[in-house]
Amino acid sequence: MTLSGRFVALLALGVLPIILIDSVTPGSAALVLAGWVLLAVVLAGIDLATAASPRSVTVARDLPARVRLGESVAAELYLTNGGTRRLRGVVRDAWQPSAGASVTRSRIDIPAGERRRVTVVLTPFRRGERRVETVTVRSFGWLGLAARQASLVAPGRIRALPPFTARKHLPSRLARLRELDGRTAVMLRGQGTEFDSLREYVRGDDVRSIDWRATARQGVSGAAPQRLMVRTWRPERDRRVVVVVDSARTAAARIENEPRIDTAFEASLLLGALASHAGDRVDFVAWDRRVRGRVQGAAGAELLSRMVDSMAVIEPELIEADWAGVPALVRGITNRHALVVLLTSIDAPGASGALLAMLPQLTRRHTVLVASVTDPATLAAVSDRDDLEAVYRAAAAERALLDVARVSAAMRRLGGEVVTGAPADLPPALADRYIALKAAGRL
Amino acid sequence: MTLTDFSTSSTQATPEADPGTASVTPTVRQAARRGVFWVVLGIIAVGFVIVTALVRGDGGAAGIPLAADSPGLAGSKAVVEVLRDSGVDVVPVGSLEAARDIAGDSTNVTLFFSDPGGYLEADQLDAVVDLAVDTVVADPDFATLQAASAGAVSAGGKPDDDTAAAACSVPAAERAGTATLGQKSLAVDAATADWTGCFASGDDSWAMLQQQADGSTLSLLADGSQLRNDTIAAEGNAALALSLLGQHSTLIWYQPTLADVVGGAAPTLGELSPDWVTPVVVLLALVVVAAAVWQGRRFGSLVVENLPVTVHAGETREGRARLYARTSSRLRAADALRIGTIGRLAARLGLARTASVDEIVGAAASVTGLRLADVRDTLVDARPESDRALVDLSGRLVDLERAVTAATEVGAAGSPASAPPSTERMGS
Repeated sequence: MTLSGRFVALLALGVLPIILIDSVTPGSAALVLAGWVLLAVVLAGIDLATAASPRSVTVARDLPARVRLGESVAAELYLTNGGTRRLRGVVRDAWQPSAGASVTRSRIDIPAGERRRVTVVLTPFRRGERRVETVTVRSFGWLGLAARQASLVAPGRIRALPPFTARKHLPSRLARLRELDGRTAVMLRGQGTEFDSLREYVRGDDVRSIDWRATARQGVSGAAPQRLMVRTWRPERDRRVVVVVDSARTAAARIENEPRIDTAFEASLLLGALASHAGDRVDFVAWDRRVRGRVQGAAGAELLSRMVDSMAVIEPELIEADWAGVPALVRGITNRHALVVLLTSIDAPGASGALLAMLPQLTRRHTVLVASVTDPATLAAVSDRDDLEAVYRAAAAERALLDVARVSAAMRRLGGEVVTGAPADLPPALADRYIALKAAGRL
Repeated sequence: MTLTDFSTSSTQATPEADPGTASVTPTVRQAARRGVFWVVLGIIAVGFVIVTALVRGDGGAAGIPLAADSPGLAGSKAVVEVLRDSGVDVVPVGSLEAARDIAGDSTNVTLFFSDPGGYLEADQLDAVVDLAVDTVVADPDFATLQAASAGAVSAGGKPDDDTAAAACSVPAAERAGTATLGQKSLAVDAATADWTGCFASGDDSWAMLQQQADGSTLSLLADGSQLRNDTIAAEGNAALALSLLGQHSTLIWYQPTLADVVGGAAPTLGELSPDWVTPVVVLLALVVVAAAVWQGRRFGSLVVENLPVTVHAGETREGRARLYARTSSRLRAADALRIGTIGRLAARLGLARTASVDEIVGAAASVTGLRLADVRDTLVDARPESDRALVDLSGRLVDLERAVTAATEVGAAGSPASAPPSTERMGS
């Protein structure tokens, strides 16, 4: 039960009769007060008695299962009035704040036995499962003085997927991939390519790729003008790419207000999209001390949708990563040579000890690429030397850069590749390195 | 995910009775059942308090001293009840008007008067003394003594002894023999000698004074403790009290209250304001309560949101900078800056990663045309002994880097030194 502003106003209106009647017949003010309060209470009681029961409402939802972070989606709520009275009131759909519901309270007017739809636009501002547990119905009586209220159990959830803003880099990288491939006029032959097919020469093809033996064979069959045959090449296909995202405590650190893990997701999504276009098999694992998310054996559009789906619910765990388990993890995914991409953070040598100790086991069998986000603020701090405090800060920043350089050098000595970049730059940088490795035939 | 599928596009639901979705809000009955324990507990607690009060009475409470209906230690219910049993009509009154009404013109009236609150004015006190033939004043304060009894003054101070013999010719005192003295005593101004002092508590001070004039008797008890419930039974107190108060068939037990206070000349705010003010104030209070219910009633339960941890990656860098600053690790800071600068200079000068510091110093000096010793001092030798020297050294490092950049980058002077290149961008 609750009261409305109208009831408060009605009660406050009692000031007028108290003063007026008292000025006509002095001494009756207390009586008028009692009468007015009684009147208000009785009216509110009548209102309560005439209000439709909120408990007779049946709630159902029609929710899209997923929404990309930053996009909006309409969540529909169906309310069926199963009672015998018309239900007038307000309904609150109790979404989590991070679900970004446009309105949380809506007016409703449902005749007895009918159903009405309430549409709420959701714009989640945090990744992961966004939930709603209850719907609260407040049913007013005829006068709108008092209301009955009940919270009904109506659970629902919507999965907010990573935004994948790095997909804007995809077209340019795909174009570079096609340059590798034989589909564009510029055809490269060399390491990392394999023989694809023979076709007729067209103007613009590299004359060095003319296959004279095939041309001669063509010439035997008829008297038509001699047709030149060229060989086409395509990059290696069906290579394995294993993306391991570190979801341990360092992934929670924010750089430019974006957690490292989100940058890692962006980078792995771009890499996944690119590699699956290039015909490679991509497997994705999020790991700290155990597997937090895994996508295996998917390709094409399904790969991306499964990746974002599993990424949506992964949050950094505040524990230390167990790097010793990663070689076994990779071995469990593939026995063949693969490109293993470790998306982690390169910090002080002390903190990266376990990663460095594990690295040789991976580099022995695979091509290993370690990708890490660097903080642009560190670079900015290096060049700020205005006062003593800034100089100390610059010294600390230089020290941090030196640490990163030392760890990176150690990784290169152990046979790994290192890619670093600011949050916005890391995904395209990783994609570029993948293309470079592919062109070099190192997959 | 959704509870039900919505294949029907109609908004007409099935008309049959629908139990509705399960509710988490308790119904009135459930709430009552849930609250019954506390309600019962509250009733028991209230009942316990009431029973305790009834059993114990307010005996422990202080109450008004010498009140006729007070059973407390300081009250006088004992003597009043005994007087009533003896046939005396004891009438407790709270105002001078009431006392005057009962006294009337009757001569068969004893007046007991005690004003510990000091409510009465001087002229009222004068009237009190004239009300009855026999007047007993207990615990008279200065004003009472001034108004009622010329010559009697407060002697102050606690008597040395607890009890004393009557040693006077007052019949009531003689009958009592001895009495307790209490905490105060009275003395007599030498000029007026028509007072009889009983129960001497010292030289020229007594616990009781009596004055007889024109057939009326005025008795003063220094602190009236002889009439109190706790001491009435001691010594001859009871005999004294009954003798003094039981002289006549009616005893007016007058203790002034607020009703005796003479109103001021100016009307109070309450008299000036109209009658409707209080009801309106009450109504507004009710409005506030209703508004609190209106605004305070929550629209369903709160929703839990698990917030993510927020760790800024720059925190370790900042922390290290403050550690340097706090411990004044100037050389360490300078070395960190030098290592960074030397690394960038080596890259800028096209030297190998493995180049020694001496090679870099030499190359930098030759490119910029600076003196070798100066460059070497900046990059290697200088030890900053003060904060100022550290800032200076830092500035020289930046200048050197800028000079090398300007010298090696033909035609593009200036800009890059403000943004040292990343050591770790894409290079392998």
